[in-house]
Amino acid sequence: MSENAVTSWKKDRFILTALVSKDFKLKYRRSMLGVLWSVLNPLLMMVVLSAVFSFVFRFEIENFPLYLILGNTLFALMADSTSSAMHSIIDSASLIKKIRINKMVFPIEKVIFQLVNFIFSLIAIAAVMLFFRVAPTANILFLPLLLFYVVLFSLGIGLLLSALAVFFRDVCHLWGVVITAWTYATPLFYPVTILDSWMLNIMQFNPMYYYVTYFREIMLWGQTPGLGENLVCFSFAAVMFAIGYLVFRKTEKKFILYV
Amino acid sequence: MPEVVNISFLESTLDTAADEQRETVVGINNVSMVFNMANQQLNSLKEYAIALARHELRFKEFRALDNITFDIKRGDVFGILGTNGSGKSTLLKIIAGVLEPTEGSCTINGTIAPLIELGAGFDMELTARENIYLNGALLGYTHEYLDEHFDEIVDFAEVEQFLDMPMKNYSSGMVARVAFAVATVVVPDILIVDEVLSVGDFMFQQKCERKIESLIKDHQVTVLIVSHSNAQIARLCNKAVWIEKGHMRTIGDVESVCSLYRILGGHEGSPESEALVYDALKLPSVEADEDITQTIVGEDRFGSAVKLREASSIPTKTPSIVVAPGTNDALCMLANHVSALLEAPLYLVRPDAIPDITAHALKQEAPQRVIIIGNENEISPVIEAELAELLSEAQLIRIDGKTPHDVALNAYTQLDGWGSCAVVTWAGCSADTISCMPVTLRKRAALFYVQRGGGLDDELKSVLETGAFDEIIVLGGEPTLPTPALEALPIAHKKRFCAPNPSEANRVINEWVDDELDSAAAQLIMVSAADPADAFAVGQYVLSDHSRVLFENAGDLDSIANAIRMIDNRKGADLTLTFIGSHVLFDQTDKALLAKVMKAR
Repeated sequence: MSENAVTSWKKDRFILTALVSKDFKLKYRRSMLGVLWSVLNPLLMMVVLSAVFSFVFRFEIENFPLYLILGNTLFALMADSTSSAMHSIIDSASLIKKIRINKMVFPIEKVIFQLVNFIFSLIAIAAVMLFFRVAPTANILFLPLLLFYVVLFSLGIGLLLSALAVFFRDVCHLWGVVITAWTYATPLFYPVTILDSWMLNIMQFNPMYYYVTYFREIMLWGQTPGLGENLVCFSFAAVMFAIGYLVFRKTEKKFILYV
Repeated sequence: MPEVVNISFLESTLDTAADEQRETVVGINNVSMVFNMANQQLNSLKEYAIALARHELRFKEFRALDNITFDIKRGDVFGILGTNGSGKSTLLKIIAGVLEPTEGSCTINGTIAPLIELGAGFDMELTARENIYLNGALLGYTHEYLDEHFDEIVDFAEVEQFLDMPMKNYSSGMVARVAFAVATVVVPDILIVDEVLSVGDFMFQQKCERKIESLIKDHQVTVLIVSHSNAQIARLCNKAVWIEKGHMRTIGDVESVCSLYRILGGHEGSPESEALVYDALKLPSVEADEDITQTIVGEDRFGSAVKLREASSIPTKTPSIVVAPGTNDALCMLANHVSALLEAPLYLVRPDAIPDITAHALKQEAPQRVIIIGNENEISPVIEAELAELLSEAQLIRIDGKTPHDVALNAYTQLDGWGSCAVVTWAGCSADTISCMPVTLRKRAALFYVQRGGGLDDELKSVLETGAFDEIIVLGGEPTLPTPALEALPIAHKKRFCAPNPSEANRVINEWVDDELDSAAAQLIMVSAADPADAFAVGQYVLSDHSRVLFENAGDLDSIANAIRMIDNRKGADLTLTFIGSHVLFDQTDKALLAKVMKAR
């Protein structure tokens, strides 16, 4: 029986890579700049936002462009992976109805695809760091750990949303609004210090606050994240994943009837 | 009439002893699949919340499958038969693991390759090469396996030239070939084929069948096939199951199941009729060369009319002949009565031309009078001219009238010698009119039509009152001739025939015919209820051989049961069975079934 599980895991892995490469080819086929967009997009966003917030809002943050791009790209990783995972089951309806397949493959694939895009945008981050002469410290080595937390977290949300979206299509619209609100609720382009104390209290419950701060700590400020911080990040991720996984597994047998 | 589709279990012709030793590859145990119908409409939170608040979350159940149990042994080629919507695809999806059964379980012993719609997983933007790998991955192949067999796949699909083109530019046949090639490059333990062979041109189908056959013969693959083509299932399978509306009706060797399905599948009729037909199927077969039945039919209704004239006992070169428009059923019925009155043959023509076959036959006749039934729209003057040419010595008499009602009255007044029986019906009631002919034509009954809208108008009323009739037969219900009006007529014997469905009407009329005629039937004439046009000139044939007319519709078990009962009632006597209709209306299986019953008497 375990042999079956191993071979099926290998098969699933091949399916994953096949689907990721399909998405990749499709995303950039027929576009002039192709993969370059994964690098250009965050850069351009950063330029625009820096311009707006440096001249309009005048925050006093050192290295504001880098502060911005770090927050944006990590948040985009979560936002894009959860949004695309949400649609993954509905979009693969025809496949699910015809082939016996491990349905979890679909949201996982979307999250991994966004992770690959994120890796490309690291190039943009490196370019900005170079431009502003911010030297990378050994703390960069924590990046894989952070990515693990964020991916696990996004995967949890993605699994939950993809299952819900099958039964209630308006979850798709709702999530768009949630992401927008969440963008403003996370200190992406403003310093945490400008918030009132009650807002700060609420911020303690925002997982993205911790992840974005972690990212900035290791890349921008060259600090080592403490054990407590790691624990908090990990627990958010683990709990979210557990919820998403359970809901998905419990409902996946009914997908074919509603999708 | 509500649809009565029978779903009871009929029989199992499985050879269980022989099967015992073989390994079960697919075990289906009490599988039922229930779909909740109301659920399907709630796909937003708002609708769900509203339904919840209204306590409307009770669901209507739809049992797509009900308690299906059977085993498939290794090496079997199993066919699944059933009409549309019977649950075949649902069963296949459960076996393929795509759907979980609501009740029961399905155990699989081996790898499955499902061909449930080819090309699942193809993305049309990608090239064939990319899609082969993608689809292969989705079907569970490893990368190395696909590398090894890539050329084999491309070869089978014959798409070498187009490998690097996006598949959205392919024709549907090419897509189907690629999909089939990818799906069958592996040798699975169990292959499931769900109507995929109905797509694609005949070469593709041949290729697929050959591939499936090679899998069966060379690798002992167990195959499950769903197909609507009985011929295909009979060709490929050794066992079959018939599932109707989610219930298993019969299971066993492929010939028995196919023949049962062919005769009973999807056909409506009461359970008693079905039981009768089912028993008839069990009778020993009739050899092809034993001529128990005969068929009288031409290429079309005009040809059939000629054949009926030739088969009738009316002598050649009669003093009169009758000509009627073959496309107007009311006038044809009237023409039958006229031809019986004059003991003349009846020929059918088109409104503006005489068909070749009729013209040819007319040359053999030498009448002094030709009676033409119908006004100038129904039989144009062109026909008169052609008739004058063909039959130079004949006098042409036209029985005119604006509507069938008028023509019928004119026929009564213009011709002499009518009997004392009147038949009153509405234009369009040809089946019952024909069924009554063994009696009505013998009595030289006059046929009358009510005006459109029904009811007895003054002209018809006066004819009926003054005509010294002693018998009137009404074919139709109250709208045709209301009971008070019927009662008021000074006619001694009154009879009305009106039944809720054609089979019932035919049965009742034949019972009456049996009562009226002294001699028993020696010939049963079968006319197709679906298209009785071939029998529009049957009047001239009906009087010979003490015939009865039966209307049969292959899709209606009640009518077949009628026929079986009538044949059985004449045990021991000489009986011939004559079909009036082409092979489209009565095909080999229909005739063979009744031939069996004939022989078994």
